[in-house]
Amino acid sequence: MDAKYKVNRLQTTNEIRPLVDKHWADLRTAKERGELVAWASGPSFIFAYAMGMKCHFMAGYAAYCGGIGAGEEVLKVAEMAGDLPETCSYHRLHMGMGEAVARGIPINPQAILPMPDLMVAGRLCPEMSHYAEGLHRRFGVRVLPIDLPAVVDMEDMPRIREFVYRQFKEVVIPTFEEVCGKPFDYDRMSEILSVLKKVATLRNQCWEFFKDKPSRWTLWDYGVSIAPVFYLMGNPAGVAYYEKLLKELQERREKGIPAIAPDGEKYRLYWDGWLPWAFLGKFMRKFIPHGAVVLCGRYPWEFFPHPELIDPEHPVETWADLYYGMESHLVYTFSPKGTVDLIGKLIDDYSLDGLIMFSSKTCRVMNLAQPEVIDVLDKKYGIPGVIVEGDMIDSAMISDAQIETRLQALYEMIDSRRR
Amino acid sequence: MAVVAGVDVGSLCTKTVILDGNGKILSYDIMRSGHYYKGAAEESIENALKSAGLKKGDISYTLGTGYGRGAVAEADAEVTEITCHARGAARLFPEVHTVIDIGGQDSKVIGIGDNGRVTNFVMNDKCAAGTGRFLEVMALALSVDIGEMGDLFFASKEKVDVSSMCTVFAESEVISLFARGHKKADIAAGIAHAIARRIMGMVGQVGLREKVVMSGGVAKNAGVVRAIEERIETSLLVPHEPQIVGAFGAAIIASERMSATIG
Ligand code: SF4
Repeated sequence: MDAKYKVNRLQTTNEIRPLVDKHWADLRTAKERGELVAWASGPSFIFAYAMGMKCHFMAGYAAYCGGIGAGEEVLKVAEMAGDLPETCSYHRLHMGMGEAVARGIPINPQAILPMPDLMVAGRLCPEMSHYAEGLHRRFGVRVLPIDLPAVVDMEDMPRIREFVYRQFKEVVIPTFEEVCGKPFDYDRMSEILSVLKKVATLRNQCWEFFKDKPSRWTLWDYGVSIAPVFYLMGNPAGVAYYEKLLKELQERREKGIPAIAPDGEKYRLYWDGWLPWAFLGKFMRKFIPHGAVVLCGRYPWEFFPHPELIDPEHPVETWADLYYGMESHLVYTFSPKGTVDLIGKLIDDYSLDGLIMFSSKTCRVMNLAQPEVIDVLDKKYGIPGVIVEGDMIDSAMISDAQIETRLQALYEMIDSRRR
Repeated sequence: MAVVAGVDVGSLCTKTVILDGNGKILSYDIMRSGHYYKGAAEESIENALKSAGLKKGDISYTLGTGYGRGAVAEADAEVTEITCHARGAARLFPEVHTVIDIGGQDSKVIGIGDNGRVTNFVMNDKCAAGTGRFLEVMALALSVDIGEMGDLFFASKEKVDVSSMCTVFAESEVISLFARGHKKADIAAGIAHAIARRIMGMVGQVGLREKVVMSGGVAKNAGVVRAIEERIETSLLVPHEPQIVGAFGAAIIASERMSATIG
């Protein structure tokens, strides 16, 4: 290791915590105020928000639990209750929380959520079905399953988009109307989408600062800034947050301040798969001392990369299009072909040196074909990649020595190609 | 030119190679790592120095590698065992494009480009299946010396399948095969084929490109070497002392860094 690299922390990212905490506190206390609560997996939470329900989203809860350091204790409860450690840790986390409440096992009170009046299981992967089924069987939760098929070829997109759109219109919306006892609030959905459009536009401007050499911020900074385009959707505070972040990044550019001191990065990296929510700091400490900075990734790039296509005047149609449209097609990036297309573009746009494929040991979807993806991209762009195994929240699935060897080997491969 | 050392601290064994200024091996040492990696590294360097008739101060640059690379107190730098195995194998066999390394507790397959540099790799370091430790446990279950396992392969007459990949399950499978009257040699061959099957999957991920070098302690087991050759339908190049390829590679890199500093 040559230079002594250190991270230059952003000020604005400190301001996300109160917003996030408020979201979860509101959700925790919703029942006390007589509000209805939904849980959701896949892109269905916006319908709950439009109806004024408090709603939580599977990965969002995992990110939150990771952030407050509650992941381990909740997972332990799930294991005690008989959930297998091979089960997706998002799934286990929710079962653990439910079991802790049902059995009166003390866990971090901030991690306790009210059981939902409706669970919308948007099934992007088989595990989401099991998760919903578990909630219904074990806790008597009402479940609305909807299918969100994978798209392997773009030519299948229009007909799958139609199938998904019809589920939104013919199943999801009527069910919310029935649960809430009122007509669906299309106006509110439009408002939420207008705010999202603004936030995602600002966020895209912030993404431009990843292109600077040296980069002005890291994927980890963006990881903690995801909530405004995710479960804080529709909250105008997200606009203020990203305005401030954009200003800070602009100032950094003007003053020549890089994301990592003293002079910026030696390696510019891509991150595939989920973010390791409970271990963001730990991973950061594995990169920064080597002068490595992770700049972009598939999952964080899922959150509405094309705000220009958001049409708040046609809320349900645009929502279906964001996931299954011909131009913005978030679900396509789950397929190996879509992954290759996306990463190829990111390699060009962000001048990447190497790829880290984070393979969650319990995820059934994100790891698909990672070795082949590395191979194809290496042949096309001459960029090496490594697979790093771990988990988003379960430390039992993380081996420091194994991860460090793979990362160091990646740096060595990049160095040897530079010579 | 300066004398340098490469020290490979593996989970089971620690290896040291000392090179003279012309890149010639002056001495090497292989010893069990035990539980105290730092002590093992020191002792192994000491042993190698002694065989070469040198003393500590004669070494101008030391490079650590292997899982315990951080424990080499003398090290001027650390490089992963992946790069070191590739460099060691490429120096011994310049035409190499794939390295299969099966060590004490891990196995890896490394793809090497025309310039001798790593292109890609896969590693199994999560469980002992198909590693040296696996063979040790199997030798115990068969009540044979680990050194005999390779020869037994060639005495096998009947095909016996050892289907378990997990060391613990494979051990009980071996015991039950024994109880069913299968011969030691046939079971030993079944074990070698089980390892080969696992390696085959890793080779598939990296992509087989000849020539293929096998390194690591398990390369001393001729039965496993043959079983892998049969699976991948290619003959393997096995160095005279396959266990020191990583340490040798580390010493080569140490030499280059030394000349870069001087030059
Ligand atoms: S996509 Fe992966 S992480 Fe998400 S629910 Fe399915 S298995 Fe779990």
